Formats: sequence, structure tokens, C-alpha cells
Amino acid sequence: MVNQRLLKVTIHWLLTVVVIIYLITGFGITEYRIVEPLTFGLLTKSLAQKIHINLEIPFIILLILHIWLLPLLKYFKSKKLRNN
Amino acid sequence: MRKAMTRKGILFLVLFLILVAVLIFGVNVDSGFRENSIKGPQEIDVESYMLRITGLVTNSQNYTYDEVVNKHQHYEKVVTLNCVEGWSVTILWEGVLVKDLLAEAEPLANAEVLIFHAFDGYTTSLPIDYIMDNDILMAYKMDDVILPPERGFPFQLVAESKWGYKWIKWITEIELSDDANYRGYWESRGYSNSADLDESFFGD
Repeated sequence: MVNQRLLKVTIHWLLTVVVIIYLITGFGITEYRIVEPLTFGLLTKSLAQKIHINLEIPFIILLILHIWLLPLLKYFKSKKLRNN
Repeated sequence: MRKAMTRKGILFLVLFLILVAVLIFGVNVDSGFRENSIKGPQEIDVESYMLRITGLVTNSQNYTYDEVVNKHQHYEKVVTLNCVEGWSVTILWEGVLVKDLLAEAEPLANAEVLIFHAFDGYTTSLPIDYIMDNDILMAYKMDDVILPPERGFPFQLVAESKWGYKWIKWITEIELSDDANYRGYWESRGYSNSADLDESFFGD
């Protein structure tokens, strides 16, 4: 049995982290003259862009899960109960 | 009740910060362009400006702004600039052909690459064959208006079918070289040296 609460919290925090990184790397692309010195040269424009592009799919998946996970689990649970 | 109010306060604060960020970072958008040069807009004095053509040429050249603009044939092209940041603008560009300038400098047979130098220290390179075969413009007007400083006055390269980082602004020197592997400012920081629009801007 899936621990629904744990799953929900994990997805919630993963989404939070992804959104924050998404925002920072977004600024890292468009405002590289500010972000690069602020990160001591670690987050360069090209690195920010690579991370930003690679986060698109995880962001969409996590967002969909965040919105639909509980309704889907409830749906499957009620279906299972009906079948029993 | 108090907890709900605190949450509302945090939400309001976050929204307010987003609004401030949009206002601060969003105001530098004008007519589709984003100002994203390495040192900000450069102010070039047209009286003292010189365009140099150097490197593997028979006759090195030094042109004033007037010599470039008034002593060469003018051409116009509608070309879209596509930036790696995701925005693009379609502009009527007016300028001179780079190959007309090169013809006067007479490139040596071993010249393979043109290295463009800008007033702010930015550099980028393009193969000489690409410049010759595609009639590449060095623009001094956009949509019938002289380039403003933030758009690259006196000259911006119209590197059609290439990503925006090849469209160098504030050009001061065109150096001919045999170093086919030369990498300019962004190319040496992970962006593709070929910069073809139909390929990823990361890579070779």
C-alpha cells in the first residue's frame, strides 16, 4: 500500500525545489550579468540554460502529479472498493 | 485564524516580490529586443570611430564611419534575429556587404575565418565562405532608422540563419585568420561555434 501522505509530501517538496531552480536558472539566462557574479561564477549562462531546458519535463510531470495525484488515487480506491 | 493570516501574508509577500522582479527585469524590453550584451550598451564617438580590417589580408584597411557608409553599395534585407533566450525579432536591415569590404582588403588564400571584434571586448567568428556565399550585411540601419547605441551603433552584423550571439554589435575590427577552431566569447563558454539555427546552440 502506497503511503499517500508521504507521496504527496515528496511530490510537493520536489516540485518546490524544481520551481525554485527553474526560477534561478531562468534569471541565470536572462540576467547572467547579475547571477553569475552572485554565484561566484558557478552558474554561468550556458549552464543555467542547460539546467533550465532539462528541467522542463520534470517540472511538467511533477506539476501534473501535484494536481492530479490525490484525485487519481481516490478514484482508483473507490473503483477498487466498488469492484470488491 | 492567525495561522491563515500569516499564510496570506507570505503569499502576498511572494506575489509582491514577483511583481517587483518583473518590473525591474522586464523594463529593458523594447520593440522585441532584450538588452543582453556582455557589458551593456556602448557609446561610440562617430568622429573617432575606425573600422579595421586586419590579419591575413594583402591590404589592411582603416575606415571611418562615413567611408564605410558612403563609399560602399547599400543593401537591404528583411532578416529575423533569433536569440538563444527564446525571443526573436524580424527587422528590415540596411547596410554594406562584408564581402565588399573584404574585396578591398584582398584576403590571403589561407584565410578561413573572420574574427569580429566589438568595442566592448566581445568577439565571435564566422567562416569566410559563409560570409561570401550568403551576402552577409553589416547593418547601420534597422527599419530605416540609424542603429541606436543599444542596438549596436555604428555597425551590427546581420548573421542570417545563425543564432543571435553571432550578430555582433559595435563592430570595431574584422580580423582574418586561418584558425578554424577559434571560439568567440559565448562559443568559448559552451555555445556552438557553428551556431546554425537548425541545430542546437549547445555543442561544437
